[in-house]
Amino acid sequence: MSSSDSSSSSASDDPNPKLKPQPLESQFQSSLTLEDSDGVARTDDASVAEQQQEQQDEGSGNGSVDGVVNVEDNGHRDSSDREEGIGSGEARDGDGGSGGGGGVVWRRANSEVELEVEAPASPSSSGYAGGRGSSGASSASRADDASEEDEIEVVGNDDGGAVGAPDSQAEWTPGKRHVDEDDASISWRKRKKHFFILSNSGKPIYSRYGDEHKLAGFSATLQAIISFVENGGDRVKYVKAGMHQVVFLVKGPIYLVCISCTEEPFESLVAQLELVYGQMILILTKSLNRCFEKNPKFDMTPLLGGTDVVFSALIHSFSWNPAAFLHAYACLPLPYATRQAAGAILQDVADSGVLFALLMCKHRVGTSLKVISLVGAQKASLHPDDMLLLGNFIMSSESFRQVTSESFSPICLPRYNPMAFLHAYVHYFDADTYLILLTTRSDAFYHLKDCRIRIETVLLKSNVLSEVQRSTLDGGMRVEDLSVDLQQHTGSTSRVEDKPHTETPERIRESSLVGLGGPAGLWHFLYRSVYLDQYVSSEFSSPINTHRQQKRLYRAYQKLYVSMHSKGIGPHKTQFRRDENYVLLCWVTPDFELYAAFDPLADKALAIKTCNKVCQWVKDVENEIFLLGASPFSW
Amino acid sequence: MGLASVNTASEGMQLCIFDLRRGQQEGQELDKILFFFPADLPFATQLSVIGLSEGLITFTRIFSPDAACEVIEAERHSHVFYEAESDIWMVMVVDKSKESKAACQVDALRKVLKEVHSLFVLFHGTMRSMLEKETSGGLIRSHLYPFITDYLSDFLIGRKLQLPSFHDCLMERGTVQMLTVGREAAIEVQSLVKVLECSAGTTSCYSLVLFQDLLVSTTLSPDDTISLFTYAVLRLTPHALSSGATSWSYLQRTNAGSQVPALSTITNSGSVSDNIYRSRDASLDQENNCQVKRPLHHNRWFRGNDGFLASDIWGTDNGSQTSVTPIVYLQLTEERMYLCAYQHKSLTIILLVPVSSILNGEQGLSLVKQQVLENASLKMLMVEEKLSKGWGGENAYHVSGYRYLLVDDERVSRASPPAKVMTLAKESLLALSKLREEVNLEKKRAKCSSSEVNCDKELEICVRAKNGAWVIARTSRGKELYMVLEKASETLLYAADSVEKFSNRYCSGVFSLD
Repeated sequence: MSSSDSSSSSASDDPNPKLKPQPLESQFQSSLTLEDSDGVARTDDASVAEQQQEQQDEGSGNGSVDGVVNVEDNGHRDSSDREEGIGSGEARDGDGGSGGGGGVVWRRANSEVELEVEAPASPSSSGYAGGRGSSGASSASRADDASEEDEIEVVGNDDGGAVGAPDSQAEWTPGKRHVDEDDASISWRKRKKHFFILSNSGKPIYSRYGDEHKLAGFSATLQAIISFVENGGDRVKYVKAGMHQVVFLVKGPIYLVCISCTEEPFESLVAQLELVYGQMILILTKSLNRCFEKNPKFDMTPLLGGTDVVFSALIHSFSWNPAAFLHAYACLPLPYATRQAAGAILQDVADSGVLFALLMCKHRVGTSLKVISLVGAQKASLHPDDMLLLGNFIMSSESFRQVTSESFSPICLPRYNPMAFLHAYVHYFDADTYLILLTTRSDAFYHLKDCRIRIETVLLKSNVLSEVQRSTLDGGMRVEDLSVDLQQHTGSTSRVEDKPHTETPERIRESSLVGLGGPAGLWHFLYRSVYLDQYVSSEFSSPINTHRQQKRLYRAYQKLYVSMHSKGIGPHKTQFRRDENYVLLCWVTPDFELYAAFDPLADKALAIKTCNKVCQWVKDVENEIFLLGASPFSW
Repeated sequence: MGLASVNTASEGMQLCIFDLRRGQQEGQELDKILFFFPADLPFATQLSVIGLSEGLITFTRIFSPDAACEVIEAERHSHVFYEAESDIWMVMVVDKSKESKAACQVDALRKVLKEVHSLFVLFHGTMRSMLEKETSGGLIRSHLYPFITDYLSDFLIGRKLQLPSFHDCLMERGTVQMLTVGREAAIEVQSLVKVLECSAGTTSCYSLVLFQDLLVSTTLSPDDTISLFTYAVLRLTPHALSSGATSWSYLQRTNAGSQVPALSTITNSGSVSDNIYRSRDASLDQENNCQVKRPLHHNRWFRGNDGFLASDIWGTDNGSQTSVTPIVYLQLTEERMYLCAYQHKSLTIILLVPVSSILNGEQGLSLVKQQVLENASLKMLMVEEKLSKGWGGENAYHVSGYRYLLVDDERVSRASPPAKVMTLAKESLLALSKLREEVNLEKKRAKCSSSEVNCDKELEICVRAKNGAWVIARTSRGKELYMVLEKASETLLYAADSVEKFSNRYCSGVFSLD
């Protein structure tokens, strides 16, 4: 394991990245099956993989419409693919993931979970986004069963009392769990949220819980339901039974199913299935449809081998990342000038043949990725969903996360062009901050490397990286800082202005007439700028300070979002909703959407006033919390 | 001709009842089907509907063993499930028209299934007991067909079935509507009820008093009250008897014009289906078929000279030439009761007398009736007069500026008159319909997650829809209030204030905050 670490971290020093098997992506595993067909894969897979290879190339051809691809690239890339494929082949053969070779990164990330008992002191135990969490790999995996992500329905499970600190997400371990389960296991049946991907012939492709192979029968049942309804000239959307919902999504030859008793509305679940599908497209492109056209019994699992961790991280994010239902992205709060400086150098790079340049960071423990700056080449625009999927792919893949290493990997942006691969150059400046450069050219590694060096130099010179670190430490908007008297706040968030933090506790006391948090019982808010496709979310404050409570609040927001945007009649203008947990207020205008959570005993009139103040506050600091004037985004 | 009209009528809907305990062997699948509408659908199609339903019931039980499949939502159809009795399922398949695509009222459709089942049980006892009595299934099939088609004919408008849609989101099926009576009138009614129940000479009789289409008093259990009230409003009240008059009750949607063709459609189709079923159930002989009673048959009740309502549905007594009094089943006790209904002007009184307490059938009953007339006719006159005086007419419960529905404990409801609801914009109704779905889900969740018996959900939702209307839902202490305010001002506070005023005035402050 450590050998793979060292090899990947040394990638940046390698003079010849073409020969370097470092960033292994599953796309290559298609070429792996090609190389390996006598060993691992069946012959028909090999031929299909071959076809896919061609299609991928065609796909890149499509990409040329938008970008700059020259024909030679394909051949060039092919050879590199093959070489890398060999590497991954070794990894796969080294069953159990202990295999050496530089190419095991994928496999390793996955096996870390599977072998958690044998290898508790994995060098990369910091694991997923919650790397800062105090728990090491072994304790994390033990906490696993208690972690509510795997929650089995138990009465009262939903309610507070969670021991978890605010950073309890750190307990979440990436990768697949409970592989020993199948549809006959009681525990499997009681999992709160299942996700399945299967082919239209009923072959299992992915299951969140349990072993896909053991679920073949179950998968066939799902397929039978879908095709039965289809034969009647109709298309099944969902089935409800008690608190359970079975949601179906058909995407050509791919069927996606979610079985959930989480009370999320159908619209949310189907949107999540869309994202899961998008994640698959990001890894493989839509050209995989042709494999199914050629051979309906095509087995896709080898192509996705090792990507379990990507899907499970995505599914995990559905319960805490508002980007998943808001279809917007968040920015790291930064002084305007700092962001301008970052934007300028990215723009510089974009003008030199880079399709998209994104400077991102993980903001605080376990929370979603945040954008520092991003820039697209002329007329190219990046959909927030693509950013979510790209961010998830990169953050959940251990191979990218080696600080100072550089990776070059084909990916597809499903909203941008689902048929074509782009090439992503990824580099971590530090544990949290990373750069993604996307290009249509597969031979652009050196160019992108040069771009990165230029960017890094500028970022260091203009102190952007240190500002970023400071911002991640300081956090974003706090409801406590929304003073009753707004005057003193105009122009800046208190954080950016270096307001002494000692002031905050006093404010909490002042405003704690109703519960804790901000004035008038304000606990939390989400503000989505419609034109910018961006949102800002306040930091969690008391009493929303356990993971469980945060997740419940997200679910409540998610429900509110669906209710406000209900199909055919929406969007509604305002909504006030009081139940035993919160007062929720939502306000949708053509410019923005505000979602705010208050103490359930909050006064209506005061809550409305407070919402107005929040909007004013956001407007006052918008050039620090949002990325403004990114012209390619005006679409 | 008859067949053709059925086809037109059923375009948008299929309804089937099947028993999972039957036809489990290959080749015997048809035996599962107890009822299918439209009956002239090929068996292969019928079996495919039932096959899908059965498959999903089994499938969903993997994850949700206690509550199997409730609804299948597909792009073009909704399948609404209701397990009427254990292993006996009713499934309604509704075509989604363009209009109702946005909001298919699944809960309202399930209430239709529930209603027809409870009416069936009222007159015939449970389906299971009927199946046990006659295991071939012929008996129950011959009863279900005319019963359900008669019931469905109430939904026919012209030649189209008008099933509950978002238009009906300000009404609640399966509830009773009460008349508000003054203190004095209440005492009168109370004493009338006493007299009535003594007249029968036994202690175990029950009564139901209605004024117009509203309930005044009941001594029955809540469930039986709802079934009997529903039947009374459908077939017994003055409005129901004079089918020419338009009723403002949601239960009576058909107008005079549509009733005649509707009826003929159903009668014809009935005979078609009889043929089908007869060919399948050889055991079902002609004689058996003749015994099938159709309690929901239209225009078969009339007011006799003595003020008692009579019907030839149950035939005539050979000796006395009087019509036979129907017998109904009480749900909890499964006790069999004679149903006697008396009408004076707007007042309808239903007296249920235990079959066991009357020794010599119709003769004995006529004695009871005589007794009632002697003891209570004066009181009935007085009560009718008092209630008429206090009665504010069809729009008595209209509150100007508000369009509302108030549901108490899921059993009693009061709502704005349908004519007033019709003034609302479609957008407002769609928004409310959607909101009601959300509230139903929250209610269900509260019920599922709470182990306590009393798990009333406290909820307040105010939505300002795209068209500017306020759409409001409140639940508190088992009461629910739904409201549309189209002319309210822009502010949430104003809307909230309107609810508060309404609550203080008409709901004894249940929804008020202080």
